Amino acid sequence: MNELETVVGLEVHVELLTQTKLFCGCSAAFGAEPNTQVCAVCLGLPGETLPRLNQQALEFAIKAALALNCSIAGEVSFDRKNYFYADLPKGYQISQFFQPIGTRGYVEIQSAGEIKPIGIHQLHLEEDTGKLLHVGDILSSPFSRVDFNRAGVPLIEIVSEPDLRSAEEARLFLQKLRSILRYLDVSDCKMEEGSMRCDANVSVRPRGSSALGKKTELKNMNSFRSVYKGIEYEVQRQSRLLQEGGEVLPETRHWDEGAELTRAMRSKFLSANYRCFPDPNLPPLLTSRERLNALQEAIPELPDARLERFVREYSLPRYDAEILTATRELADFYENTLAVFPVPKAVSNWTMGELLGLLNEAGQEIGTCKITPTDLGELLKMVQEEMISRNMGKAVLEEMFASGEKPGVIVEKKGLVQISDEGALAEIIARVIDQNPKSVEDYRGGKKKAVGFLVGQVMKETRGKANPQLVNEMLKKQLEV
Amino acid sequence: MNYPDTPAHQLAARVQEKPDLLDQMPGDYAVLCSKSQNLQIFISFEPQAIFQEVSTIKQRLLAGKSLPLAGATVALGDNFCTAGLVTTCASRMLSSYEPPLTARAVDALRVQGSVIIGKANMEEFGLGSTGNSSHYGAAKNPWDPDRTAGCGAAAAAATLVSLALGTDSCGEARQAASYCGVLALKPSYGRISRRGVIEYAPSLTQPGLMARNTRDLVLALEATAGEDPGDPTSLKLLVPGYFSRVHEGRKGKGPLKVALLEDWDAVPTLETEVREAFQAQLDDLPKAGLEVEAVSLPSFQESSLAAAVISAVEAFSNLANYDGVRFGYRAEGPSLQEMYTATRTSGFSSKLKQFITFGALVSSEKYYTSYFVKSQKMRTRIARELESCLEEYDLVLTPTVPFTAPRLERPRVAWQLPDPAHFFTAAANLSGLPALTFPLLSPSGLPVGLQFIARFGDEAALLKAALLLEKKNPLQFPQPGFKDQGGCGR
Ligand SMILES: [Zn+2]
Repeated sequence: MNELETVVGLEVHVELLTQTKLFCGCSAAFGAEPNTQVCAVCLGLPGETLPRLNQQALEFAIKAALALNCSIAGEVSFDRKNYFYADLPKGYQISQFFQPIGTRGYVEIQSAGEIKPIGIHQLHLEEDTGKLLHVGDILSSPFSRVDFNRAGVPLIEIVSEPDLRSAEEARLFLQKLRSILRYLDVSDCKMEEGSMRCDANVSVRPRGSSALGKKTELKNMNSFRSVYKGIEYEVQRQSRLLQEGGEVLPETRHWDEGAELTRAMRSKFLSANYRCFPDPNLPPLLTSRERLNALQEAIPELPDARLERFVREYSLPRYDAEILTATRELADFYENTLAVFPVPKAVSNWTMGELLGLLNEAGQEIGTCKITPTDLGELLKMVQEEMISRNMGKAVLEEMFASGEKPGVIVEKKGLVQISDEGALAEIIARVIDQNPKSVEDYRGGKKKAVGFLVGQVMKETRGKANPQLVNEMLKKQLEV
Repeated sequence: MNYPDTPAHQLAARVQEKPDLLDQMPGDYAVLCSKSQNLQIFISFEPQAIFQEVSTIKQRLLAGKSLPLAGATVALGDNFCTAGLVTTCASRMLSSYEPPLTARAVDALRVQGSVIIGKANMEEFGLGSTGNSSHYGAAKNPWDPDRTAGCGAAAAAATLVSLALGTDSCGEARQAASYCGVLALKPSYGRISRRGVIEYAPSLTQPGLMARNTRDLVLALEATAGEDPGDPTSLKLLVPGYFSRVHEGRKGKGPLKVALLEDWDAVPTLETEVREAFQAQLDDLPKAGLEVEAVSLPSFQESSLAAAVISAVEAFSNLANYDGVRFGYRAEGPSLQEMYTATRTSGFSSKLKQFITFGALVSSEKYYTSYFVKSQKMRTRIARELESCLEEYDLVLTPTVPFTAPRLERPRVAWQLPDPAHFFTAAANLSGLPALTFPLLSPSGLPVGLQFIARFGDEAALLKAALLLEKKNPLQFPQPGFKDQGGCGR
């Protein structure tokens, strides 16, 4: 049998960060007490199902479609997708079936050192469903509760072309998507909170074949890691099946995070007939050229463009630029720090090495960090001007991270200012020379390394505050007299 | 003063002058309605609520408010939501449902001083007008209790109220008015807000207004018309002052030009009673100041078929929220799926279930293009044809329903698709054009309707024509007979 090739397409649902729901005035915030963010409209009460389109959600969706290089539909129309489920209040979901807002776009990923475009089949706007709450798992739960806070929250669904050739590419695509949407400020894309959800269509085929193999639809992957692992597992499973002469069944499979394997949900696709038809309550809305232009202009510099600019403008290594532009917040932080302390590589080193280290350790993100770009810039200035040593600087940064105090305040409070005053050091140096005749003898006898011990003694006397460079010079001068 | 008989516009003027006149109303109604139980006109009727409403209006009048509909009595089809008052849609599904909000059109009537007398019986979920699908038993026709009454109109015809509101999705409000001998107006689509109106076909529905005279209809339209940001299909057109529009002269434009639907008398279901009454009126129209010419509208006869398909698809989806999960009736079942099935099986009448099933069928992948899309194309054709005819004429004229009120014991037309009662009325719903039915009497003394359709937004032309006819045809109502037949109570 020929070598097999992996073919993956993703369907990604992303909740938009609007204040209110897609068709009513209820708050769309995450995490409230169940059923406290509901009204007659999003509960689908009789006579109250008339939707009012949230213009902010529409603009977010258009911005996302533009940023993903999609063509924008000339009119915005909505359709009803009809099915019964307890989390679907109206018995239909308002979605865009016939005319998605965006089509034929692409996203570029870096795969094996190459830039590779991944096609976006479509992007459409729709409302989210409520959430079922079970006691334990769904099958053994004696009853279920429904929380409708999420019902009606705006979602965009992004469907990729089957252009992804590995689990790794799928992960890279998803990360790129998250990065772009976060730059746009249209979603926080938190997979663990469900504001980004991903299903994968996975198949394998003989390399060189252009026909698609039988695919399975993979669900329930709740992190980037599980997307990677789930696809990886599924590819192995399908390849083994084919190599053993078996056949892949077209089915929906659940990724079981604990057992690290996928399980069939149903024996075969239930042919879903959603009986979609245009929603009679939402007449099509024209998207004017002016509105599109205004939205296009409101799109900020996106991660790829910013990365290139960082490399070009600040002469940063590509690696640094990639990390610094991964989120808009971090890139903004970096550039705001540069405004105070314009030494790109130094700021990059401190940001990537020290600051990200502290954030990772604390499980925090830059957005919640107590250190401001101005404060970091001030700190780096002190280090550069040798007011404090590099090591002191790290200690001060930790303190800033914990308390949010300004570096100047911390340095003063702890008496950390470096002693660079020759007068103040001379006395200590004289004492150290007196107390260590052996080392002095060694030095004068040609063991030049002995000076290091003496410098260490001075540092110890000054509790590390002496400027080591200066101590070194002064000691040598004394010893060579 | 005989409260229920007095036209709303006259009553308002008197009550405005002398608010104390309102004091007798709750008592009058308690008596009236106890005398009229048998007609089953109302599903809910609460004298306590009437008393409350009346005292509020009196206070506002005494505080110097000017209320154009002061004391006007209104029957609401029971698919208009009323906060604090059960709204059943004449269905077991909502038999104890109290909505949290009140329909916007109802609020608008109350603001102008009208009193909600009760919730009128109707076909389940307002679907059709010729059957017997109410969970509470059919409302009976005040002209002949063996015949159907449709929604709301019976309360106006029996002079229990001045005004009635019912939904008009394929013509139901106009049909009810035709059966009961009152006027009904279906405004241009979007003219009156649909918020708080429980409907089965959103793209076709408008609240229909019913009254016993044109002036009252004008007042009701002025009160309820207007943009509502909460209804995405609400009209942004300015609402004209209908009263002055209706009364202003034609200013050299000559008589109203009316296009009579050619072959109106070739409709297979047309009853002789209707043919004769309509023909007699046709002969009189020039004297009333209307100039009539027969015009061919070849697509018009397809309208009830197109409306049947479109409204069934919309109903299949629009009534999907009745699933027993969040409100209303629930039948227990061992699983979610079985609970749905049990709830919808026993909560809906068989007529409604057949209709919804038909809607599910014609929206399925297999039939979507050949039925649903085809019907939408037909709809566009019907609308274009009417619109271009109305470029030349002020009004299109047809009978309202091909027959008089069907007999209750033999609802021979109740289960047919397309519903033959929709033959003349559905075109106005499909095109969104405003339409009005004017009551005539057949040679044997049964009510029959004459329908006008006007240009989009031109309700004034309809009301003007109605006023002209009213001058020539003093309207009659069966008030002497009904009091022994009864009319209220669940
Ligand atoms: Zn809501």
